[in-house]
Amino acid sequence: MMNQLLLASPMAVVIIGAFVLMLISHSKRFNNDRFNIVAVAFLVLSLILQYVTYESQSSSFLFEKIFADSFIMDDFSAIFDVMFTVGAILTLLINTDYFKSRDYFTGEYFALILFSVFGMMMLSHAHELVTAFIALEIASLSMYTLVGYHKNNKVSSEAMMKYLILGAITGAFFMLGTALIYGAVGSTSLTQIAEYTITHKLHEMTLLIVGATFIMITIMFKIGAVPFHSWVVDVYHGAPYPITMFMASTFKIAVFAIALRLYLVNFAPVNSFWTEILQVMTILTLIGGSWLAINQSLVKRMLAGSSIVHSGYLLIGISSLGLGSEVAAPAVMFYLIAYFISAVGAFGILSFLSSQQQTQMKYEDFKGFATRRPYMALTMSIFMLSLAGFPSTIGFLGKFYIFTSAIESGQILLAGLGILTAFISVYYYFKLIAMMYFYPSKTPQKKLPIDISTILIFMMGLLIIWGGIGTTLIPVIPGPDGFIDMAKQAISSLR
Amino acid sequence: MMDHILTNIIFLPLFFAVILGVLRANIFYLKAGAMASAVVTLLLVIVVAVNFDPNNGMQFSQDIAWIQNAGVRYFIGVDALSLVILALISLLMPPLYIYMYHENRKGYWYNMMVLQTGITGAVLSLDLVLFYLFWETMLLPIFIMIGKYGNGMHQYNSMKIVLMTILGSMTMLFSIMYIGYVYFDTAGSWSFALNNLMALQFDPKTSIWLAAGFLLAFAIKIPLVGFHTWMAPAYSSAPTPAVIIMSAIMAKLGIYGLWRFGFGLFDSTLSYYAPTIITLALVGLLYYAVRAVTEDNLRKMFAYSSGSHLSLIALGLFLTNIYAWTGSLYFIATHAIATTGIFLMIGLTYKRFKTVKISSLGGIAQKAPKFTFFFAFFALSIAGLPGTGGFVAELLIIIGAFKYNFWIGVLTATTMLSAMLYIFWMLQRALFGTSNNSCEYEDLSLREIIMLVPLVLMLLITGIAPSLFIPWFEPQLETMLQGVLLAVGGLL
Repeated sequence: MMNQLLLASPMAVVIIGAFVLMLISHSKRFNNDRFNIVAVAFLVLSLILQYVTYESQSSSFLFEKIFADSFIMDDFSAIFDVMFTVGAILTLLINTDYFKSRDYFTGEYFALILFSVFGMMMLSHAHELVTAFIALEIASLSMYTLVGYHKNNKVSSEAMMKYLILGAITGAFFMLGTALIYGAVGSTSLTQIAEYTITHKLHEMTLLIVGATFIMITIMFKIGAVPFHSWVVDVYHGAPYPITMFMASTFKIAVFAIALRLYLVNFAPVNSFWTEILQVMTILTLIGGSWLAINQSLVKRMLAGSSIVHSGYLLIGISSLGLGSEVAAPAVMFYLIAYFISAVGAFGILSFLSSQQQTQMKYEDFKGFATRRPYMALTMSIFMLSLAGFPSTIGFLGKFYIFTSAIESGQILLAGLGILTAFISVYYYFKLIAMMYFYPSKTPQKKLPIDISTILIFMMGLLIIWGGIGTTLIPVIPGPDGFIDMAKQAISSLR
Repeated sequence: MMDHILTNIIFLPLFFAVILGVLRANIFYLKAGAMASAVVTLLLVIVVAVNFDPNNGMQFSQDIAWIQNAGVRYFIGVDALSLVILALISLLMPPLYIYMYHENRKGYWYNMMVLQTGITGAVLSLDLVLFYLFWETMLLPIFIMIGKYGNGMHQYNSMKIVLMTILGSMTMLFSIMYIGYVYFDTAGSWSFALNNLMALQFDPKTSIWLAAGFLLAFAIKIPLVGFHTWMAPAYSSAPTPAVIIMSAIMAKLGIYGLWRFGFGLFDSTLSYYAPTIITLALVGLLYYAVRAVTEDNLRKMFAYSSGSHLSLIALGLFLTNIYAWTGSLYFIATHAIATTGIFLMIGLTYKRFKTVKISSLGGIAQKAPKFTFFFAFFALSIAGLPGTGGFVAELLIIIGAFKYNFWIGVLTATTMLSAMLYIFWMLQRALFGTSNNSCEYEDLSLREIIMLVPLVLMLLITGIAPSLFIPWFEPQLETMLQGVLLAVGGLL
């Protein structure tokens, strides 16, 4: 029992932290800085507990006597937990200045971040559909609130309404799908579903396939795949910068936690049913995302559009999965890690910079940035290069694995399209680098302090380079091999 | 020492750049550091060249596992082909740094050092992914240098060159990944090492589009006519050192890639493309020459001239006989030196007259005899003046062309005539006659002469005593050629 409590402690600490923050949020003694510290402290504690309780290559159910097999603890969930916690910590620390400069941030904000982290962690551990739904809704509801956090701002409120209504409708599809699967299998437990799919033939499982397709709609909506993408750019635009950062990097990945688990194990035998649907969706996502990203003047909207393209790359990997590619699953996992690091960095710099000005960052605002802040500009260039998939960054290896998996599964045209959209993405990412380096600065250079935000951002930049070219010379920091080994281990723990 | 010498040659400039950057060195130490890195690299390359055995294939190789999960290896080595370009880049760096003596913008120096690492790495790597990494990395400094320090519409032109080059690289990446997959399919493990992949047999249809991926990358880099729209704008707006690197080294890397990877991986398939490429090269030869004749801007003129000569080199490559091959490789070296000289002179012209338009120059010969001498010498060596290396090389290629086909030989021979035409006409208008502007200017300074004399000497030695150099690479070209001829069964 003690052991089980310890295993649950990382999640428990986060939810306790959320409640503590709720309780103290109206205290006069605390300001945003203190709330921030408290929130980060709980997250760091959770991270430490994750490290302490982590057992490699073990897979067990949490409180099996009470929850049956609702919660699973394995390498797969462990790596996602680390990403969620780190994502949240980075969001909080990098945006310290942002919280100071905007008076609409209050204590509840930090509680909501912790609630959503809790929801995501629960999602990555969920081994039962209703649990997964509840987890997804906990995370999503916190997100809806966070997106509309700037109440007096029209754009922010519009984004919130848009996201809430569309999100709630697609969330209902998940429930409907669960109900249909329950009708077919007689249980919502993933263990039972896996048994059912293995023992039945494809044409006997019509109800399950329909249900799983409904679940897929929810997932596609959350990752912004193209027929369900209409919210992405507006919501990313309307949300305050720190929230956009949190959504684009961390929340997006959370959805893949459940998607991979479902489609890699439980629905694996019926995966071939979706091949064509996924391929069409991938093509639409890649082209549509590029189209959205290429003609934006706000950097934030460009990154929002490009995040759709990145969903497209991940979908290439997922549709290769369905065709039985062996390297596809680790490739998707690796791409998630690579995208997480790059997106956290890129959005982090963006929100760090926008804390100093009230308007949205345009491309033009980056003119002469390299003269004003050379190191920051260098790091931003690294993030852009990584997102564009330029070699010697981790983003290149991510794309490399995804495309080879597509070639391996025989989807040569899809890989070709991926290459083409990667080429297009070079345009809009390099445009930002060009803005930073090619134009003289309008405002004079001033000495800016080195604080925790800048150090964290710079370290993310180094991690990207090391993840792209690193060797085994420094075993502590994972290089390209370290990351892919992690990805492989996580995937293998699923089976 | 000898095991790691190539690694040292590749990474020394980058290492210097990183150290100087971390220490936030001031401009004086930065210049000294850059020069030191170039000189040390040059010394190391001399060590390699001295210990190089012409009758032995790949030497000084180093093969270390790198990204094990993807089968990517850190696999480098040098043979005659890469030694020529390796020697060029390390020989040309010191004069360039002397030229940049008064350059006080720090980014300039860092970019040059990174650039040297990128190019050297691309020349020496024998693993396709490693090659791709360096091939792309060397683009970044060029992108920054044109965009930041260029003139004219430099932001636009820099974006243009990057996008066009990356389009080529992306198709190449696709081919690389597919080849890796084919290897995985046959051998059961991933590998991108050239020696493993050369043994692969692709089915003809696949092979044709796989080769297309590589050819597009190299055709854009060379550039063959039709893929050249980035060239003149980029050359005219890039700062002088960047132009020199682009025309003297990077364009040659396109040829090198064709030679190493094109002939290495797709020897039998290239016969499918040979007629197209020979035609493109011949058209380019004449088209670029005509453009050069009509061009008033010196930079653009020599951009086109360089395009014309690179077409000649590419042509020589596809004629597949030993004269043409020797000529091509020899021309890579001599043309690089001559181009460096002429673009340095154009840079000096710009410094003095603030213009590179032929119509606003003139009358230089009366006031600046030394300047005129060097300018005319380099220009004439580009045109293939007997006694300079270019003449020997062009002659070899033309002989090869006549051996291949009489009419192709005739067309190829026109390159010398057309080059004479635009060079002499340009010299007459730019250097002699009456001055068309009122600038006060000085003759060459001692520093500038020190920078130019080695280039002159190199051109003369290569022209007078080609027998000193050709034995270095002829045996290997002979072997490679035999292999190619065996694969295609006769001519391409």
